[in-house]
Amino acid sequence: MKQTLSRGRFVAGTAGAAALTFGGGPYVIAAPTKEITIGLNVPQSGPYAEQGQDQLRAYHLAIDEVNAKGGIMGMKVKWTEGDDQTKPGVATENAQRMIERDGAVMITGGSSTGTAVAVSGLCQQKNTIFMAALTHGDETTNQNCHKHTFRRYNDAYMSAQSLARTLVTKYGTGKWFHITADYAWGHSVYENLTAVVEPKGAKTIKNVLTPFPGTKDFSPMLQQAQAAKPDVLVLTEFGADMVTCLNQAAQFGLTKSTKILVPLVDEYMAKGTKDNFDNVVSTAPFYWKYHAAKYPGAKKFVDAFQKRYGFPPSNGAETAYADIYIYKMAVEKAGSIDPAKVIAVLESTKFQFTKEQEWYRKEDHQGVNSCLVLEGIPESQRGPGGFEYAKVLEVHEGDKVVAPIGSLACKMEPA
Amino acid sequence: MEAFFQALLGGLVLGLIYIAIAVGLTIIFGTLRLVNFAHGAFYAIGAYVGLVIAQHIGIGWAFIAAPVAVALFAILLDRLVLRSFYDKEPTSQLLVTFGIALVVEESLRLIFGATTQQYAMPAALQGSVTLGPITYPAYRLLFAGGVILMLVLVWLFIEKTNYGLIVRAGIRDRVMVQLLGGNIRLASSIVFALGAAIAGLVGAAATPIYGIDPATGFAFLVPSFVVVVVGGLGSFWGAVLGGLLIGELQSLTNLAYAPASSVIIYLCMALVLLFRPQGLLGESEVIRQS
Repeated sequence: MKQTLSRGRFVAGTAGAAALTFGGGPYVIAAPTKEITIGLNVPQSGPYAEQGQDQLRAYHLAIDEVNAKGGIMGMKVKWTEGDDQTKPGVATENAQRMIERDGAVMITGGSSTGTAVAVSGLCQQKNTIFMAALTHGDETTNQNCHKHTFRRYNDAYMSAQSLARTLVTKYGTGKWFHITADYAWGHSVYENLTAVVEPKGAKTIKNVLTPFPGTKDFSPMLQQAQAAKPDVLVLTEFGADMVTCLNQAAQFGLTKSTKILVPLVDEYMAKGTKDNFDNVVSTAPFYWKYHAAKYPGAKKFVDAFQKRYGFPPSNGAETAYADIYIYKMAVEKAGSIDPAKVIAVLESTKFQFTKEQEWYRKEDHQGVNSCLVLEGIPESQRGPGGFEYAKVLEVHEGDKVVAPIGSLACKMEPA
Repeated sequence: MEAFFQALLGGLVLGLIYIAIAVGLTIIFGTLRLVNFAHGAFYAIGAYVGLVIAQHIGIGWAFIAAPVAVALFAILLDRLVLRSFYDKEPTSQLLVTFGIALVVEESLRLIFGATTQQYAMPAALQGSVTLGPITYPAYRLLFAGGVILMLVLVWLFIEKTNYGLIVRAGIRDRVMVQLLGGNIRLASSIVFALGAAIAGLVGAAATPIYGIDPATGFAFLVPSFVVVVVGGLGSFWGAVLGGLLIGELQSLTNLAYAPASSVIIYLCMALVLLFRPQGLLGESEVIRQS
């Protein structure tokens, strides 16, 4: 057994030898390379698979568009893919393979804060840029921030601020019951929400944590909510877990008896919950219908996505698409793929692609852009494919709802 | 107090789902001495057959097509693959059935994709029923009733038919049954197909509640194995007792401290293995022979 050499090891060994021969990563090679590789690390199985697959579609679209117009600084963009299974261990294995074997100069993707935080740490060690895509927990840019990680997606703090501002003016407060996914993201959302609504008069009755991933039966938690008769029921679950949880909540009659709040939603979750999502209040950083009508960049993206795949993009896909363009912008402005130079540009540049003009904060690398508060509409009004799932209640400007710099636990490494 | 009764009822329904899968596992083990890790795959195939039929023909047909399709699949599997492993040691059986489970899971992923899918329960059953202080989804109650009915039928099959007699005798002494001229091969095939069909039917019937993705079969298989181990390998009533115990334990832990609910069942299994290795109602001979 010991003498056999697996193909994976052989390839890794070859790549390692090649890296040694050329003396390190591609960015120190004097002559410009003709190609660069980007690592797309998203869940293609597990509860967040639909979100991961839609991000992948957007990555492919953006990369093909970029290549059709001459690539990044004349370099053709190649991609390498991995299924992170929404597991931090698998996500870091993938990222390491992408960096060491495939020579990826940038890693992007993720549909979970657990995987994003893990990959962020690895990319910091490996001196590789990580454009975290769909990750919503504060940790990614706050407690576990890193010099090489940039997250454009709204964080839980922004969603909580936006939700609280809209909700308290619209529905008042009352008794709140939380059902929360038991990992970094769920905790982050719960803490942020209670921190903003409790001072305004909301009373938290209970927070029930659900094992993550793998909870199929939410009935024990839903039964407790049913017995507690809350005014507001918060379901901090995402992806297929949220679909299962909300559909089961409806079976217990909870969608009729209480106001339901889902802190973060996307097109696929709304589709999966059908009429149970009617009247549910949520947030999203992007809604194809709203943004395409307002911004030419968004319209161009939504039209191209629709043309290629036959249906509109989800908000996770939008952030994936924008991440490719933001990286391209930064490399071209820096005139190099040297991470230090790219980081300097990302920290100091305002840009506009699919939303209003936006930027990353130097202090924590959190993207500052708007947060939408949405309310679900009945399935009969959602148009073909059911992608038109909500009406926009309010749009909160990014810099009004983002966590104040003074409050951050982020300790950024020096440049 | 209301929450406590709610949790008790919830635990009962959850326990019944585990029992429904565990009964198939345990009668297959009892008769064939086969540790069947592919049993979760039967659940998943049943669920996907149910999904396709419910979406194209109707939900009623799904509940007929799923067990039939899974039984046919099981018979094929039995004839082509498993037959040659019956007399092998448990580790080989474990490996081959685990391999089958992986092949099925990946095949389902290839055909249906990795995303969770669901089909709607009949409109009449979408509401909930109020029983005193408790309001409970109608479909789940009907599901629980269906499982109880099915358990009664399986019990009657084992206790009252000639095949059942061979099955029971086979659990006690396989060689003696063959020496006495009992057709244990045929009985084995019937039991294997029956156990698989039950898992397939449960898969189809549970999908409107839980949804289905390729990994769901495994998600239910693991607690069902715990149920079988706690109740006693090969014992029908052991599976029933173990299922109720595990379901209630999980549900009540959820009420007290939810994050512990997935750990508690393994803790329970560890305790049973320490103090009563043959399981609550298991016969010690079963362990020694296998």
